[in-house]
Amino acid sequence: MLLLLSLLAVVRTAEAADTVTVDVGAVYASNEGASIDPALGTIRGKLRSMFNYTSYRMLDRKRLTLSVGETGEFELPGRRSMRATPLRARGGKVRLSIRISDGPRNLLTTTLGLRRGGMVLVGGPTHQAGVLILIISAE
Amino acid sequence: MDCRAALMNIEAKADGLLPREAEAKLAGHLAGCAACAAEDAAILATGPALRALTGIRAMEKAPALDAMWTRVRAGIEESREARRRPSWIARWAWVCAAVALAVVALLFYPAGTDRPPFHPSSFDVAVEEVESEVATVALVDKGEDLPRVIWIIEDAKT
Repeated sequence: MLLLLSLLAVVRTAEAADTVTVDVGAVYASNEGASIDPALGTIRGKLRSMFNYTSYRMLDRKRLTLSVGETGEFELPGRRSMRATPLRARGGKVRLSIRISDGPRNLLTTTLGLRRGGMVLVGGPTHQAGVLILIISAE
Repeated sequence: MDCRAALMNIEAKADGLLPREAEAKLAGHLAGCAACAAEDAAILATGPALRALTGIRAMEKAPALDAMWTRVRAGIEESREARRRPSWIARWAWVCAAVALAVVALLFYPAGTDRPPFHPSSFDVAVEEVESEVATVALVDKGEDLPRVIWIIEDAKT
């Protein structure tokens, strides 16, 4: 029975190595009010120290587990969308191909190399009276 | 003392209820009355005879009693064993249930169903390429302790 459990654990680890969980949070940053969404966790202080906005509110958050080569689509506020595709990577690294579109317009195409558990921010697209900041992390 | 009173005293003596003074008077009567003396002797002999008879019957019944006691002891042992067996089975049942639960958890528990706040372990990001058809893109790096930012500037709006 212990052998079976060990085997299952190995299988799960191998599966985890072949997949990437992409977590995308869409944050509305503005100067309307002065509140910071608790759902932003430890990154709240970092947002405040990096940007000049007074209010940060998480509008949406989605997490997809994708295999290498598989593309996942994230709907973003304001008719925008983001497509993420994990690419082959070595060691504990993750490579992500990211494409952010605003309708037919390509706002951004990039390829990122992150450590598992790493995070990057993509900001700037206007939204209402402020901007959108995407918190993209990969595990 | 007449014979009627003597017979009553003989029974009282056999039962151990006769006072010492009355016992002396009864002895005087028995010494001179053969019939009462015979009755006294007969009653005195009854006790040992009854005890002997009970002993004989007990000896006769001994094998049956032994067999019955053996059955009772076997019954008690069986009942103890039966009580011991379910606890052993129950213990192993719990172990089996725990193992089955662990297997199910490993097989089917979807990693990442919870939504904890963001707790990144690293901000080390390599931007291999970046381009935009409609906006200017800036890379902002404010140090290792802060996340790298890709900032999209749409028509100089932001």
